[in-house]
Amino acid sequence: MPLTDRWLALGLWVVLSAAGIAAARIDFFPPAGAREAQVADAAFRLLMRLAAPVFALVVTVLVVALARRRGHGDPPPDAVVGPEHPAVPRAWFGLTAALAAYVIYNPGLVGIHEMRGDPQADVVVRVDATSWYWEVTYPESGVRSREVVLPAGRRVRVEITSRDVLHSFWIPAFRTKVDAVPGLRTVLLVTPTTVATSETHHAYRLQCAELCGTGHDTMRATVRVVDEATFRRWLQEQRRTARPGRP
Amino acid sequence: MRFVLRGLTWGALGYLGGGPGLAALVRWLGGPAWRLETVLTVGYPFALAGWLAGIGLWDAWARGWFGLAVRPVHAPGWRRYFTFCTDHKVIGLQYLVTFVGLFLLAGAMALLMRVELAWPGRSVVGPAAFNQIMSLHGIVMIAVAVAVVLGGLGNYLVPLMIGAPDMAFPRVNALSYWLVPPVALLLLGAQLVGGFNTGWTAYPPLSEINPAGQALFILAVVTFGLSSILGGINFVVTIARLRAPGMTWGRLPIFVWSVFAASLLSFTFTQYLAAALLMVLLDRQVGMAFFHFARQGTPLLYQHVFWFYSHPAVYIMILPAFGVALEVIAHSARTPLYAYRWAVGGFLGIVGLSPLVWAHHMFTSGMREGLHAPFLVTTEAISVPTGLVFLSALGTLWRGRLWLRTPMLFAGVGFLWNFLIGGLTGIFNADVATDLHLHDTYFVVSHFHYTIVGGEIFALFAALYYWFPKLTGRMYHERLGRLHFWWIFLAYNATFLPMFWLGLHGMNRRIGDYPPALAGVNLFVSVAAFLLGAGVLAAVASLGQAWVRGQRAAANPWQATTLEWQVPSPPPEHNFPAPPQVVGPPYPYGQPGLRHAVMPAAGGDR
Ligand code: HEM
Ligand SMILES: [Cu+2]
Ligand SMILES: [Cu+2]
Repeated sequence: MPLTDRWLALGLWVVLSAAGIAAARIDFFPPAGAREAQVADAAFRLLMRLAAPVFALVVTVLVVALARRRGHGDPPPDAVVGPEHPAVPRAWFGLTAALAAYVIYNPGLVGIHEMRGDPQADVVVRVDATSWYWEVTYPESGVRSREVVLPAGRRVRVEITSRDVLHSFWIPAFRTKVDAVPGLRTVLLVTPTTVATSETHHAYRLQCAELCGTGHDTMRATVRVVDEATFRRWLQEQRRTARPGRP
Repeated sequence: MRFVLRGLTWGALGYLGGGPGLAALVRWLGGPAWRLETVLTVGYPFALAGWLAGIGLWDAWARGWFGLAVRPVHAPGWRRYFTFCTDHKVIGLQYLVTFVGLFLLAGAMALLMRVELAWPGRSVVGPAAFNQIMSLHGIVMIAVAVAVVLGGLGNYLVPLMIGAPDMAFPRVNALSYWLVPPVALLLLGAQLVGGFNTGWTAYPPLSEINPAGQALFILAVVTFGLSSILGGINFVVTIARLRAPGMTWGRLPIFVWSVFAASLLSFTFTQYLAAALLMVLLDRQVGMAFFHFARQGTPLLYQHVFWFYSHPAVYIMILPAFGVALEVIAHSARTPLYAYRWAVGGFLGIVGLSPLVWAHHMFTSGMREGLHAPFLVTTEAISVPTGLVFLSALGTLWRGRLWLRTPMLFAGVGFLWNFLIGGLTGIFNADVATDLHLHDTYFVVSHFHYTIVGGEIFALFAALYYWFPKLTGRMYHERLGRLHFWWIFLAYNATFLPMFWLGLHGMNRRIGDYPPALAGVNLFVSVAAFLLGAGVLAAVASLGQAWVRGQRAAANPWQATTLEWQVPSPPPEHNFPAPPQVVGPPYPYGQPGLRHAVMPAAGGDR
């Protein structure tokens, strides 16, 4: 192909890649209400930046190929091409392998460590899923609740199980979930950062995310992230008003 | 039709004897009364045997087992399509028409779901019905995706492309196809006994406590699996043993390689799906406890076994689509397929890695923490062999001169663009830090529709247009074809691109209701889905019309080099008067002095 075409193609690729990398800065996420959400969103943006040049390359070749097409009519004369240069596939293989290796390292393994690495927690919350509602228990104070109330700025260990089928504990604003499995206690560690409630944004809701039958879509609970003092006060109130034997 | 009626009658008799009959006998002998589900399950193998015998297996095959003379069926014209016919071209068309029909049926269910999802709250279908429709749509589409390209185009084209008279085991081939109608009947019939509501994945414990429809789902999927396994073995043996003289592995058209790779997967892994589902059936019916937590079973075990098949399954779907896309791109770009050997290496690399990645579907399942990292590594690694397929496609486009007919639009533009999006978003799903949020949301729904619909179904359309003159002897309408492409392509992207946003913003999958804040985008998606449905329907209708009324096509309208184009359209029984002699690479465009094959009798070599 003519040299100018090659420069045009290179230019198009650079422009498209830059556009893609810039697009990764757009804020298209729901509110990020936990440290884990910041990690996940950063990983998402990093993956977008890494994917942008790949995406741009394919689009560039498509555009060039379409621009040079030989019409719809009779078959065009065959393309006369020289022998394949063996270095090209090797370089391609090497580059894609290097890119994959980088993605595996970051955000891959780094992300796992940041999301799940730290097992320490300040507050423990137990969650029991039953078709189709959630029960939340605070074992340290014996309080039971139908809504999830969490202190901002503290690391929370949520211990989850199910009494019947699979469910999944998901608060979209926290960007992480884990299934509720009968016979198993699964664990989710989150550090809520912002004071907010389900009224602030629907991403602050506890939503069942594993198909569990008829009531699956509406198997939700309210989430309230409050400051530490409010949290303590709320626990005390709950303890005072709770009648024995009833949540 | 005589055979179909006989099959249905014998099937019904088999069921009555083996199901209610046996139940009555047991009761009469003083045994326990069977539940409906047990009657259905026990009766089914008898019904299946009756159906298969009636449709022609008895005459054409089984009589021989008892020392009687076999009576191969000979029916004239279109009636062949309703008999136990062993011609691979008849079987290919049987597969194609059946699965395109099922595709339209399940597509209608998708539109029904999109009506419900157009507005928050409940509008047309209740929650229980929604789950049933969703599950039926899912499993029927999975079956379509597994069989439409591999079973349909693979059966029709592979023997032709390798210069063989038929498949290695023609009767096994007919059996593979005739196992399919019972699958469809079971899945639809299941709706009469409560249906199934677990999606196509059938996770226990839900799949162990729901109505009897789930048992029929299991029998259907196991039957379909049997058909897949038989088909896989048949392709592998055919490609390994029946290539024409001179057709070395390095001269195989790339589509044949893709069928070979997909078939290796389908006969190696399908049995794991059957195993997982049969364990559910045993739990349900004879009180076993594989997945029953209260009796030391474990629900997570199911997911491991299930995905050990079902991840390779997505490559059973997509590998033949890769083959179609590369095949069409090479012929349309009028140049040898670029980096042919690397593309084959890519296929085999995918086959090698695909059994090592299954637990990327289980990052949020509560499986052991230490399993996250290894499955992240293997999964991201699979992007390298996949990249080789892109290398081959892009290099061919770059060096070629595009002849931009409808098949090329579907393969070159549609497939590459859509699968690019599907593939790149897969990296987000394979990354634990992002997947913990994205899993089980519309982000995933969009991702897998981009690979299966945007990838495989677009490749199916490319193939239908490209091989249309071969299959039917007629030509499709080129202008309409291009119009349909742009319509489907734009509507497709308008439907599925916004779903990524929905998933990111907290819309989980398999739901009929969602937070009101997501209403606007959902309405947009629903409208676009209807435009897409209309486009698909229009394209299929215009192809159907061309099949009956289209202009006669020349034997080789694309002036293509591969063997299937060197015989009349449609090809005669047994394809070639004598084996062709293969003397060169499959795509010798612009390579003076090189040719792919020399035909035995009169006829060109291009
Ligand atoms: C007009 C085109 C289509 C539309 C609008 C559509 C729409 C949908 C919708 C709304 C769902 C439910 C999503 C959920 O909540 O999980 C779904 C699920 C699904 N679809 Fe489609 N679909 C279309 C075509 C296809 C095709 C062609 C295939 C495969 C070849 C397919 C395969 C699936 C599968 C496997 C599921 C998952 C079901 C499950 O979770 O068990 N779809 N689709
Ligand atoms: Cu649920
Ligand atoms: Cu997978």
